[in-house]
Amino acid sequence: MNARHALPPLALLAALLLGWEAAAAAGWLTPIRFPPPSRLATSFRELALEGFPFGAFLSTHVVATLRRVLAGYLIAVALAVPLGLLIGASPLLDRMASPVVAFGRSIATLSLLPLALVWFGTEEAPKVFLIGFGCFWVMLSNVIAAIKLVDPVLLRAARSMDTPPRDIFLRVMLPAALPRIAAGARMALGMGFVVIVGAEMIGTSIGLGALIMEARTFYRSDITMVGMACIGAIGFALTALLGLLEVRLMPWRRGRQT
Amino acid sequence: MTQGAAIDVLGVAKRFATDPPGAPAVLGGVDLSIGANEFVALVGRSGCGKTTLLNIIAGLETASAGEVRVGGTRVTGPGGGKGVVFQQNALFPWLTAARNIAFAARNRGLDAAAAAALAAELLRLVGLDGAAAKYPCELSGGMQQRVAIARALALDPAILLMDEPFGALDEITRTEMQEELLRVWEARRKTVVFVTHSITEALLLADRIIVLAPRPGRIVLELRPGLPRPRRRSEPTLARLHEQIWDALRDDHAATRA
Repeated sequence: MNARHALPPLALLAALLLGWEAAAAAGWLTPIRFPPPSRLATSFRELALEGFPFGAFLSTHVVATLRRVLAGYLIAVALAVPLGLLIGASPLLDRMASPVVAFGRSIATLSLLPLALVWFGTEEAPKVFLIGFGCFWVMLSNVIAAIKLVDPVLLRAARSMDTPPRDIFLRVMLPAALPRIAAGARMALGMGFVVIVGAEMIGTSIGLGALIMEARTFYRSDITMVGMACIGAIGFALTALLGLLEVRLMPWRRGRQT
Repeated sequence: MTQGAAIDVLGVAKRFATDPPGAPAVLGGVDLSIGANEFVALVGRSGCGKTTLLNIIAGLETASAGEVRVGGTRVTGPGGGKGVVFQQNALFPWLTAARNIAFAARNRGLDAAAAAALAAELLRLVGLDGAAAKYPCELSGGMQQRVAIARALALDPAILLMDEPFGALDEITRTEMQEELLRVWEARRKTVVFVTHSITEALLLADRIIVLAPRPGRIVLELRPGLPRPRRRSEPTLARLHEQIWDALRDDHAATRA
């Protein structure tokens, strides 16, 4: 993204922050409930340098959350991609699996929290499991759809060129499905960040989700907001990173709207 | 280079499993003999079965009755020296123009170097020397179809099956492509079956024009323009043949509706 493209969204962000600050200065917002951006900046420094709870620095929270999200996400992707390819390529498997997939996708991940604690204890495992669970169904349904939605004319072309079945899968269906698989990977990552706050509610005080909950009990709306902003920023950065990876992986889509 | 092969269509009928019983067949027993290196156009309104017939010759669809022989051998599936050019968007978007063509060449056993050399040669033949490294999305519709023709030729096919290859192009590009196709066909004699809904296009290109009518799909008229190429649109003979084809289509339409 060049400077000219970055300008309009930055301008909007600045305007929103300024309006917020002005509303607080005018006394329309109670600082303790709705702290202004200047207060948040101070809280951010406090969090970064002294930590909240004391000694739990922002970096500690970020690293813990990133590790959980990435672990759950990567496990989910590693399982969902091959499984989705298999299901998508086989009409029989697809018919068998489609109600299961629809069901799995519909389960609100956090409703599994009690079970996750029973199954995996209270350490890292239940958190990674919940994130993985949420990401898995999003990824799986997208990979299946990606394979099923491959343009049939490409398959007909491949068959008319004597392409061996193995190559039809590896050299035609797979690259043809890649853009939708990549879109699914981005959506699944988003799901990981939706789940993390809930997953960190129990059994830890470290992690951005835990931080948000902990701050609430101390009536520190400012810390809650800083935590939220950090989750947003990390999600944004990782999504941008995936975007870069996509461009590398799919040079033929360069300059195209995704 | 493989010479064109004769095509024999013997009593080919086609019904789809989804057709209601009693509905007229898509194709109702078509007989057609196409000579080696002949250029035949299939003309008719939408639904007359011309594309279905082409697909059956290509082996991409199976006949409900009858059979197709190419060079005396019964067609049982796609490939095997039957080049197909589709209406549009059948190039692999993730491969450059040269690699799309090389894909076909590799499938018939050429090694990478030979395939690349053939791709370069065929790109030159279709007038696209400069576009070797371009992806399909970077090419205009006309250029994409040139690549598609080159890709089909890379199979060194005995027959070339073209399904409304210029149907999606604007008229100016379309006219250029017709001239281009004739030039390529002069250079690489193949048996060509060319499906079109444009009577003019059929008259400009083909040795023989087969007019099909729907419900059930069948041949209602065959004629040979018998004029040297390139033909001029203003040619009085073509105007007369144009009328004759129109009459056949109109009469049939009136008869089946009555």
